[in-house]
Amino acid sequence: MDMQEKIALLEETLELDEGTLTAETVLADVDEYDSMAKLSLIVMMDDEFGVKLTGDVIKSFVTVGDILNLMK
Amino acid sequence: MYSKFEDLKIAGIAAAVSSKWDSLLEISDEDETIVRKFIKKTGVEGRYSASPRQCTSDFCYAAAEKLLTEKQIDRSKIGVLVFVTQTSDYGIPATGCVLQHRLGLNKSCIAFDVNLGCSGFTYGVEIAASLLAHSETEYALLLAGDTSAREMSQKRRNKVSHSASMLFGDSGTATLIQKGNGSDIVVSSHSDGSGYKAIISPYRSWRNPDCPEGVLPGTQMDDIAVFNFATTETPAQLNEYMERMGTTADNYDCLVLHQANMMIMNRIAKKTGFTSDKMLVSMNKFGNTSSSSIPITLVHHYGEQQEDKEINALCCGFGVGLSWSTVALKLNVNDILPLVHTDEYFQDGYNAEDLEQ
Repeated sequence: MDMQEKIALLEETLELDEGTLTAETVLADVDEYDSMAKLSLIVMMDDEFGVKLTGDVIKSFVTVGDILNLMK
Repeated sequence: MYSKFEDLKIAGIAAAVSSKWDSLLEISDEDETIVRKFIKKTGVEGRYSASPRQCTSDFCYAAAEKLLTEKQIDRSKIGVLVFVTQTSDYGIPATGCVLQHRLGLNKSCIAFDVNLGCSGFTYGVEIAASLLAHSETEYALLLAGDTSAREMSQKRRNKVSHSASMLFGDSGTATLIQKGNGSDIVVSSHSDGSGYKAIISPYRSWRNPDCPEGVLPGTQMDDIAVFNFATTETPAQLNEYMERMGTTADNYDCLVLHQANMMIMNRIAKKTGFTSDKMLVSMNKFGNTSSSSIPITLVHHYGEQQEDKEINALCCGFGVGLSWSTVALKLNVNDILPLVHTDEYFQDGYNAEDLEQ
């Protein structure tokens, strides 16, 4: 999965329009990145990448790039 | 811990709610887009809410009255009453004792409260069955419920997350366990107090009698911690239970999970081999009803059916504590009663407003 596909998957997971996110996007600026969206992110990361996200890891995310780094 | 109780049966289940059903879109003060997203993710479209003076015990009382009357139960043969709730009537006494009196049960009946939430029904089955199995009495009455939505309506809930403010519904249930004529009841229960902060109401009890200024009292929930716990520990327990019992999802008519939210429930069903049509859902109409959720889901699906048919329901409650518990219940559909609606409250219940008049 290349970078663009990962960003598209993240946009789909967070229910955002295509082209909304870049690796530099600051998550605190994304209104839709709320507690329910974080649960969707946990499900997607587990299903697609086998990555278990804890609360501490999610709290450490600052930019979209921080999530992309774990999508492998 | 696994517990096995021989020759016990679930003789009946009833559930009660108020007559007031609210759509979340109508009552929430959140933005409509947020509410619609919440509905889509959690599955909660609305819930029944208690009137200002209605307590959990009033719903459990109405459910128990319906059950005992309908099944023509000799109340002198009920020797155990367990009331599971986080929303009891008073600091003391235990509301279970008050319910023993209100329901006209014998003084020889043991009655007490258990402070558990979403695992409360399955834990309660274990506690009530254990007391019944080692007693000379014939019936145990398990009353379980909460009025968590009422807490929000009184603006005492911490609205940190959407789930805390829109998720819950008010209700009470009654389940009768009988000696004899039955099969074995096997329960698996776990607890993990290291996660006690995940769902906590830290103020206005004895560790913190006062609430700090600027902090809203009420229940706080760490959504992510609860989600990770529920989607990891619960399927593990269910799978271990089925392995120990020599069963798979095919051996059960339905999976009845605590109605936490649809994301959690779908995840658990997927990890335990249950298809979505076998996983019963009631939270669209009732919200998260805490310890009522499993019996109320059975009532929602089977309560209107009049059929002499036995079902095997795999039930799992999980939540505050942290605590989680699984039990397979064999039930006759005829013993699951239609939903009860009540707006009555215990008029002799030391209601401060009444006493002032």
